[in-house]
Amino acid sequence: MGTNRYDVVVVGAGLSGLVAAGVAAHRNLNVALVATGAGSFVTGPAWLKAKEIQQASAAPDLGEAIEYFCELASLAGCPYAGDISVTRFLPSILGDFHSVALAPLTLWNAELRIGISTAIVGICGLSSFDENFMAERLTEQARLITSGCTYTARQISLSRDMGVPVTTLRIAQCFDRDPAFREELMSALRAAASGFKRILVPGILGLETSAEQIAEFERELGCQVGEIPTLPPSIPGLRVYHHLESCLHRIGVELYRGFPVNKVEIQDDLCTGIQVDSPGHPLNLHCRSVVLATGRRTANPLGGEFAGCDLQMRPLTSTGSVMARNLFVAGPLPHSSAGDHGNVMHILTGYRAGSLAASTRGNHAA
Amino acid sequence: MRLDDLALDNCLKCSLCNTVCPVLAVHTQYPGPKRLGPELERMRREGISTDTEWVEYCLGCHRCDLACPHQVHVSEMIARAKAEHRKPLIRNLRDWWFARPGLLGRLTTMLPALSNFALSMKPVRFLMSKLMQITPQRRFPSYTWPNLLSPAISRKEKQRVVFFPGCFIRYNRPALGRVVIDLLERNGMAVEVASSECCGVPALANGAAAEARAVARANIKTLANQVDSGMRIVTACSSCGHMLKTGFGGILEDDREFAGAVQQIARHTFDLAELLMEQADAGKLNINFRPANLRLAYHAPCHQRSQGIGRPWYHLLRMMPGVAVEDLDAGCCGMSGTYGFKQEKYAVSMEIGKELFTSISAAQPQMVATECATCQLQIEHGTAFKAIHPAEILLQAYDEHRS
Repeated sequence: MGTNRYDVVVVGAGLSGLVAAGVAAHRNLNVALVATGAGSFVTGPAWLKAKEIQQASAAPDLGEAIEYFCELASLAGCPYAGDISVTRFLPSILGDFHSVALAPLTLWNAELRIGISTAIVGICGLSSFDENFMAERLTEQARLITSGCTYTARQISLSRDMGVPVTTLRIAQCFDRDPAFREELMSALRAAASGFKRILVPGILGLETSAEQIAEFERELGCQVGEIPTLPPSIPGLRVYHHLESCLHRIGVELYRGFPVNKVEIQDDLCTGIQVDSPGHPLNLHCRSVVLATGRRTANPLGGEFAGCDLQMRPLTSTGSVMARNLFVAGPLPHSSAGDHGNVMHILTGYRAGSLAASTRGNHAA
Repeated sequence: MRLDDLALDNCLKCSLCNTVCPVLAVHTQYPGPKRLGPELERMRREGISTDTEWVEYCLGCHRCDLACPHQVHVSEMIARAKAEHRKPLIRNLRDWWFARPGLLGRLTTMLPALSNFALSMKPVRFLMSKLMQITPQRRFPSYTWPNLLSPAISRKEKQRVVFFPGCFIRYNRPALGRVVIDLLERNGMAVEVASSECCGVPALANGAAAEARAVARANIKTLANQVDSGMRIVTACSSCGHMLKTGFGGILEDDREFAGAVQQIARHTFDLAELLMEQADAGKLNINFRPANLRLAYHAPCHQRSQGIGRPWYHLLRMMPGVAVEDLDAGCCGMSGTYGFKQEKYAVSMEIGKELFTSISAAQPQMVATECATCQLQIEHGTAFKAIHPAEILLQAYDEHRS
């Protein structure tokens, strides 16, 4: 009885934390996810670059990890397209192409494709997206890769007053809440799409939209729609986050949102729980194992004593001894160098740490 | 600890606060927490005037604070700007009263029957909307003779706690206060009712900084002794709980005299369900529940979330045999205490509530359980469903075993 006892506690809600929590919950364990805000992946497109897949290809469990992630994303309602063995060219906010192996469906729909007439549709007043710049750049960049791909700029205006400046967030929120707005957007896009097989829009198609809803939108529009990721907050990235988080909630993961973890309780070589820095007095969560997926610089509760991890994802002290045999790290933490290690590494380490934590039986702090 | 001096520079402008703001989602002109908080704060700290009426539209729900990956106190910055904001005369007058529910309660409960009759009369509500800009769409909760007293304490060895009722329980629903006391007693605690003032949340929300400081000081004086003797403070109103745990420090940060007491009070304050759940963890919760046949929807108030205690009520309700609970998790209700009563904010308030109303209708519960009094008002105003404090449901489950 009680709420503060778990099999696995995961700290951090970036891709690694979300995947780790998912893995443990799918093994029928009692899981808590503690996080302050979303992971930094939401500021980007949340796609998996081909180069990162390449870099991780030596890992024997890469295929398994990516497969699990794709299953989780599908279950959550934001399926990914692609595969670890393929490469597609997807447009970025800067108007160049990135080599991507897997991406959320709407971004995948924007891939470089020969023989498909494509319009880049901008929205009048929208900050951070310029359809003329985008069409010109993409046409030029596409020529470096292949021939026969040109992009044409189109602009639509919406009657609704959406403040100054109009942001992708504002449009996405209207898209989520207001059927009349979707109607208006649809008819404006339909006019802009006439004569084209495909349109590419900035990431605006709602924060909560499921893959089915987007497919329905495409059917009504009568042509394919792709999204181009924009500046933060990136709607495609946030959409993935929202879907994954509510999926975890549905499969029974208890979410503790808003406050950092300031202490990992370790006795001898066993981690007994964590302490959340809640207002007034700390919240203690007891558990059999812990996955720290906090990020390296922002909120690492292990502090200066932490000096990398072993092959079992267990954090080590500066003298090389294992801090606790039921404590695991994921995300940027396992890497010795600072910087972004990419979504692929985060999924891989999250999957690994989640699996290890799920099969580790620390003493339950009974 | 959320260190204030670090907080502003921690803002990386990632806009995650904007993505969770209930007002921004429904009001296309609202600049949002990032702009009103850290962005304008830089100017305010330089002494550049950035006064804008938009700060008045902040709900104080703290969702931006919780969404921030770097613990920037977004809503606290907005609250401070709110206190500096110059309002037109009528709103100033109205908000003066809204900031003082304790005073309002003391006056109206001198003759509760007359007050209730007057507040329910259409002409009076019409006049209030014209003269005070209070929406005629809503009804005020009824006032009751304030008769919430500390019960007699029978045995000395019991764990003693202080119950902080807050204005709503004291002046509108003393019966709920007695439910709380009964629940605590059934779980082995001896209860004293605090002779407290308003917690200060309404004062902060209405930009009355001096009033917030005054009630905070008064509360600290009455609670400090009890806390020093090791007693815990129990709250059943999520906003009171939020304030006792987080707010006093922010209001009185320049007041060194109170710093120690503020921390002591915060450390000793527990939400009723948080305390009962702790009993459950220790195997000490009275679980003589009568099997029920009840389908509930639970709405977690924003000031419950901002306490960082998980979902104790949700789990407590689920322990009762025969009770099915759905956690609605459908955002803010939009009421935010006195906010929803303000004429110019009524439409925003209702638009924010839409998601919650829809999810309640979809769940079709027998009733909605939520511990915040104004969330209850909003739910009953926006749906056809009854909304009550979960403590009442818990106590009813014990009822058959009453000896």
